Amino acid sequence: MLPATAVALAVLAALLAWPVPALLGRARWPARDPLAALICWQAIGLAGGLSIVGALLVHGLAPWGHSLPEAAWHVVTGVPASGEVRGDHWVALTLAGVLVVELLGVLALSWWRTARTRRRHRELLEVVVRPAATVPDARLLDTPAPVAFCIPGARPLLVLSAGMVAELDDDQLAAVVAHERAHLREHHHLYLLPFLAWEAALPVLPAAGRAHAAVRTLVEMRADDVALAALPGRDPRRTLARAIVAAGTAGGTAVPSGALAAAGSAVAARVRRLLEPPAPLPDAVRAAVLTAAGLLLAVPTALLLLPALA
Amino acid sequence: MASLGDLERTVMEHLWGAAGPLAATDLRDALADRGLALTTVHTVLGRLEQKGFVAHDEARPRRFRPTATREQHAAELMHEVLGQAGDRQAVLARFVGSVDAEEAALLRRLLAGTDPTPA
Repeated sequence: MLPATAVALAVLAALLAWPVPALLGRARWPARDPLAALICWQAIGLAGGLSIVGALLVHGLAPWGHSLPEAAWHVVTGVPASGEVRGDHWVALTLAGVLVVELLGVLALSWWRTARTRRRHRELLEVVVRPAATVPDARLLDTPAPVAFCIPGARPLLVLSAGMVAELDDDQLAAVVAHERAHLREHHHLYLLPFLAWEAALPVLPAAGRAHAAVRTLVEMRADDVALAALPGRDPRRTLARAIVAAGTAGGTAVPSGALAAAGSAVAARVRRLLEPPAPLPDAVRAAVLTAAGLLLAVPTALLLLPALA
Repeated sequence: MASLGDLERTVMEHLWGAAGPLAATDLRDALADRGLALTTVHTVLGRLEQKGFVAHDEARPRRFRPTATREQHAAELMHEVLGQAGDRQAVLARFVGSVDAEEAALLRRLLAGTDPTPA
């Protein structure tokens, strides 16, 4: 018989693998509070991993004890199983092991790979580009395409292309720089890393791709919000929106129509919320959202650590 | 005292501007206004070689040349920045990704629609 804990964790894992990310991905409120939504996504990613691995472990270790801590202790200290150890217990334990190794392995691999590529980019930039005269601590890349990006890391780099500088006026350029600085200051690349790993580890799971895309968009919205607070001028929202449109539509970076529909609609969503800002989430709703995110992590943790229900 | 990155860029600029391969002593002389020691020039060249930006020949003394033009390096970088591969996007946080023609028209309409002072 399956312990109720394993069933509860499996149900939670199933919810987090499909309906919950689908609902959050379709919800409209995240654009009103990108930071709260980002926290929710992190909780979903973490709780999803915890509950699926937990469900497998609880079921696999059931013959050794009534709760996960007890069973794990019995295994470690060599206490023999009190119940019959069947094939399905071994299958569950093997799956749990494979999943843990794969998730952590992919996470480490993505970390290492992006770190290596970033180092290469930084080396290239340091040799190829000169410090920008107009914007302190930014680099100017001599290319006509309007491009701005940052390379996160211990020595972050902010890069503007000559095309970007030519295309935008001073206020718009300041908006772009503020946006990229927000990415760097809030370490947005770390928010993306777990979802990169989920997507690489379980490419068949549609929620993984959906979550990754949603987090990517939310990170941009969050950077927009942070940039707005730092911008002077009468209408920083319009300035930033103009900069986004100018950067997105100028230059001849021919992209086949429809090829980037998902990324494109995210740009439109950014511009829309800048021009017609939605009301921020009421405090009570925000608190409820954050509480839900906390519960999402607390429930599987409690199920794993508290003695089994059955 | 200039940073190593600064020196690397300066040395590369000289190598790119030179008619042919240069020896370390040539570079020291070319950068005389900076008063660099020959060992410093060698350190910088060593770092650049390690990163794959310069190669040396077997002449005595060794002469150094750039492995690619500045334009080629810039093109390599831009190719990665503008590339659409997922892991490239993860590496670089671009301000705005590429937008297709339909989307561009929509963006312009959005901006015009709420513009209090149309051009």
